[in-house]
Amino acid sequence: MFRTLSAIAVGLALASAFALYVVSYDTRRLDADVSAQERRIERLRSDIAVLKAELAFLSRPERIEPLARSMGFQPANGAQYIEPDTLASAGSSPDRPRHASGAGQEKETGQRPSNE
Amino acid sequence: MSTALGQSPSPAFSATRANYAARSFAVALAMVVGFSAISLQLVRLALKGQIVEPRVAMTQPLTESYWRPDIVDRHGRLLATDIEAPTLYADPALIIDVDEVVEHLVQEFPEFNAADLRRSLSDRNRRYVRLKRGISPATAQRIHNFGLPGIAFRNEPKRVYPNGSLAGHVIGHVNIDNKGTSGFERFIDEAVGIEAVHSGAPGSLRPVRISLDLAVQYGLEDELRSAARQFGAKGAAGLILDANTGEVLAAASLPKVDPANRSHILDASRLDKIAEGVYELGSIFKTITVAMALEAGTAELGKVYDVRAPLRVGRYTIRDLHPLGRPLSVREIFVHSSNVGAGMMGLELGSDRQRAYLAKFGLIEPIRTEAGPVAAPKLPQNWGKAETITISYGHGMAVAPMQFAAAAATLVNGGLRVMPTFRSGAPMAAERRRIISPETSAAIRELMRRNVESAHGTGRRAEVAGYEVGGKTGTAELPGRGGYRETAVIASFVAAFPMSAPKYVVLVMLHEPKPTERTKGRITAGLNAAPVAGRIIARTAPLLGVFPQ
Repeated sequence: MFRTLSAIAVGLALASAFALYVVSYDTRRLDADVSAQERRIERLRSDIAVLKAELAFLSRPERIEPLARSMGFQPANGAQYIEPDTLASAGSSPDRPRHASGAGQEKETGQRPSNE
Repeated sequence: MSTALGQSPSPAFSATRANYAARSFAVALAMVVGFSAISLQLVRLALKGQIVEPRVAMTQPLTESYWRPDIVDRHGRLLATDIEAPTLYADPALIIDVDEVVEHLVQEFPEFNAADLRRSLSDRNRRYVRLKRGISPATAQRIHNFGLPGIAFRNEPKRVYPNGSLAGHVIGHVNIDNKGTSGFERFIDEAVGIEAVHSGAPGSLRPVRISLDLAVQYGLEDELRSAARQFGAKGAAGLILDANTGEVLAAASLPKVDPANRSHILDASRLDKIAEGVYELGSIFKTITVAMALEAGTAELGKVYDVRAPLRVGRYTIRDLHPLGRPLSVREIFVHSSNVGAGMMGLELGSDRQRAYLAKFGLIEPIRTEAGPVAAPKLPQNWGKAETITISYGHGMAVAPMQFAAAAATLVNGGLRVMPTFRSGAPMAAERRRIISPETSAAIRELMRRNVESAHGTGRRAEVAGYEVGGKTGTAELPGRGGYRETAVIASFVAAFPMSAPKYVVLVMLHEPKPTERTKGRITAGLNAAPVAGRIIARTAPLLGVFPQ
């Protein structure tokens, strides 16, 4: 009886040792996974910082302005504002202001008060 | 002896046997306890999953470098951020062939001195020799590809300014360790806080919002740049201030500084003309003089002064640039910018009251903003009659344009004190100090508007349809050897809009503008600074969301 019990105990001990080994091996692997993910997060975070800077760099007014002007845009001016209640009629009016004129052709005379 | 086996065990033997059982039980127990302890520990470790490895020396900060919060403008657009850039370093103990390393590095970085490099890399007692900070990823990859043992990289924060030199004077600079040394960057270190690199991560700090508006700032800089070119000016400066909160929407000074270029700060010609320089601002100061006189009750808008004769004090004679040859009312003195008239108003007040009012307007004591201290005003040594007269029209005392603009905001906003600030949405003091009465402020608004609106006003070229611009011109001769130089002036214009309830104060300065054909050979502010101010308002008012009337 004692012998059987011992055998079972030994078997259990071996099984649990194996199970524990598997679990701890798994843990170690997961641990490595976690640090790999952490490194990835760090790298992505650093990439995000670079991309954010890149985006701001590409959308800097110094770059956008000449591009916009070459497409025929001008700085907004006060005359483009309209009262909200006149909005409905202004929307359907055919002669609403358009700025896409000949590229690079436009003069700023309409923009700036002609002082002299 | 077989009988002996069948016999009951001798007492001695039985005792031994009992002893044996007890001992084996003890051993078994010890084993059980021991193994369970081991199992428990294994389970614990397996469940927690954290085997804390001792961290070794490399994680200690080799150099203190810092992560900084981003700077964003009032609408959240990025002005400054940190990126990681590789720092190249060497571990001399691991280097196998010093000559090979030196050869490769000098080839990659011609500025390295081969002899110095060889000496520092040959010292095997050193474990860390920093070679170059903030190199580009491409360069780092090339060096990595050489496969040199003992040469390695670590990432360190590097401050970048995506908008280049935009608002460079306000933003300031950081040093090689990414600590703020000037401007708003320094304020961040002092008031907001930065994070040592070994305990922080990029992007973990909340961005700091600056009061500037990127688009308005660009518009201002662009208009100043074209104005400086148009008038051949040596420099130009401009400021847009919220007339009520004191928030600076845009502040620019040409030539600009690049925040990424630390040497710019030492270049005297790039001095920030808005906050770091003090100037005799000339006639724009008359707004202050008139406000004082109205407030003190020594004058009212309709009061007439006889300005026909030049004003003589001691060896000075003060005369008007374009005398009208008749007595002028306060309104006319303002619109025609009569020095004699302003001087007479100053004399009526007397130097003591003049000084007291200037102090009230905040033009005597030095001020500071988040971008650093504003240059202290330069006041006359002894404040006699002559000084009282000259100060009345903006000479004899020099003040930083930033400080003057704050006083101008007080003049038009109903009379409440304004402190310039670069913090967006900074809480306004619940009870703001009243400097002048609302009536005086309304009178100044009327005068400034009239000066732009009327066909004779010196500021008429600043008019922008729909925005009710009001303002005052100033042409201050620059001091030179033996007196003032008539051909070298600072032309300035102080404006506010919309004048019925001013939201913004605009200050424009042109340093030594040259006469041009369009200005008919003259260099007065009405012909250069005023139209520039008008252009700046026309361009930025829609961006500021001011609805035209």
